[in-house]
Amino acid sequence: MTPKMIALWLIVGIPLAFGIEQTLEKVATLFY
Amino acid sequence: MSSFLDKSHTIAPPGYNRFLVPPAALAVHLSIGQAYAISTFNLPMTKLLGTTEDWSLLQIGLLFQVAIAFLGISAAVFGRWVEEGGPRRAMFTAALCFSSGFMVSAFGVWVHQLWIVVLGYGVLGGCGLGLGYISPVSTLMKWFPDRPGMATGMAIMGFGGGALIAAPLSVALMAYFKTATSQGVIETMLVMGALYFVYMMIGAFTVKVPEPGWRPAGWVPPAVPKKLVTSAQVDVNEAMRARQFYLLWGVLCLNVTAGIGVLSQASPMIQEMFPGRVTAAAAGGFVGLLSLFNMVGRFFWASTSDYIGRRNTYMIFFALGVVLYLAVPTTGQIGSIPLFVLGFAIILSMYGGGFATIPAYLRDMFGTMHVGAIHGRLLTAWSVAGVAGPFLVNYIRQYQIDHGVAKADAYTITMYIMAALLAVGFACNYFVTAVNARHHFRNAAPSAAE
Repeated sequence: MTPKMIALWLIVGIPLAFGIEQTLEKVATLFY
Repeated sequence: MSSFLDKSHTIAPPGYNRFLVPPAALAVHLSIGQAYAISTFNLPMTKLLGTTEDWSLLQIGLLFQVAIAFLGISAAVFGRWVEEGGPRRAMFTAALCFSSGFMVSAFGVWVHQLWIVVLGYGVLGGCGLGLGYISPVSTLMKWFPDRPGMATGMAIMGFGGGALIAAPLSVALMAYFKTATSQGVIETMLVMGALYFVYMMIGAFTVKVPEPGWRPAGWVPPAVPKKLVTSAQVDVNEAMRARQFYLLWGVLCLNVTAGIGVLSQASPMIQEMFPGRVTAAAAGGFVGLLSLFNMVGRFFWASTSDYIGRRNTYMIFFALGVVLYLAVPTTGQIGSIPLFVLGFAIILSMYGGGFATIPAYLRDMFGTMHVGAIHGRLLTAWSVAGVAGPFLVNYIRQYQIDHGVAKADAYTITMYIMAALLAVGFACNYFVTAVNARHHFRNAAPSAAE
């Protein structure tokens, strides 16, 4: 795991995690 | 700059870690996946002027349809150019097209000319979608000859994930830029165009291709290739003379038609099938869940296909799809929302899986030499399905309601038609056999084969 590898995966991982978190918030409305 | 973009300047040095390549591919796919979230602009764009002169939802719906049509057209026309020039040039061009599509559309909104908006996002942006979509596919398969399904599944998963990012992002930006006299659409488009340009450039500047003949350390190709996995190569033009190309075109088209029709109508469908029991907010949650399964299915099914084979994977898609589509009306009749949601979640996972597994299926059939270009031509099936799927669902539903069928029951026939389409897809997939040797590329050097 080089710094470049970590940086690249964070660059794509953080926005994706944000998108998934936002979607899960919406999905939660299905269960209330 | 042009030399920097050349394929020869993107060859990885010895010892290069291949796991640096998927994030580059993901950066591009996460960006262009915004296309699935374009509907977040729909409502604000019907209120731009605040008068009856505003655009209708139907007119704005053109944006997505034209973009998907140009995705298929550009992927088909420029597939060979992408293959020959390498991924960096293609990603760079895709970034230019996609971001300038936003800029031109913002100008179109400013002067309130719909044709300029469609020309920008639909045509220019659509070309960015097509080039960006196919640009990393063959590169990933060359880096991961041992796990081609997983590698392309990872990138194409990004296309599904892109919508999950773009939807909240565009809503937040429009809310930020909104004033008493403006919906904030122009500013949002300009910011998104700039953001996506930078993000896609990260992909373009980091992508690398393996040197000819490269193999993962310790990996040797199986001495006896698996059934339906060729070690030969097929030229893109020759591939189009093979029966298998058209069978796989049908496989993709039918799988996508069945899924995209449901995806486009998911929110009203769940509300109408369970009247009074599902709120608009909960329906939004249902759409979100489908998007998640669409994304996860891309990685899951494509990775699974490395173990069970591509043909078997599609057999599962079509057989299980038929069963689930036939069962959905029953879940409505017995009033079971959990079973209804579960059924469609699995269907949408297979919709995504269909997209993600097709590049590896093409590689198995036609080899890696022109797989990107062949994939590009096959994506015209997506364009056709993008128009046919929503049309089928909308038209059949409206026809039934006009003839006195209750809204809750209006989807029953549609589901049965979707099941029939999937049964045809099953037949197409069933008849896929190895490509005849007369289509094989005769002078394939070992380097080209890799």
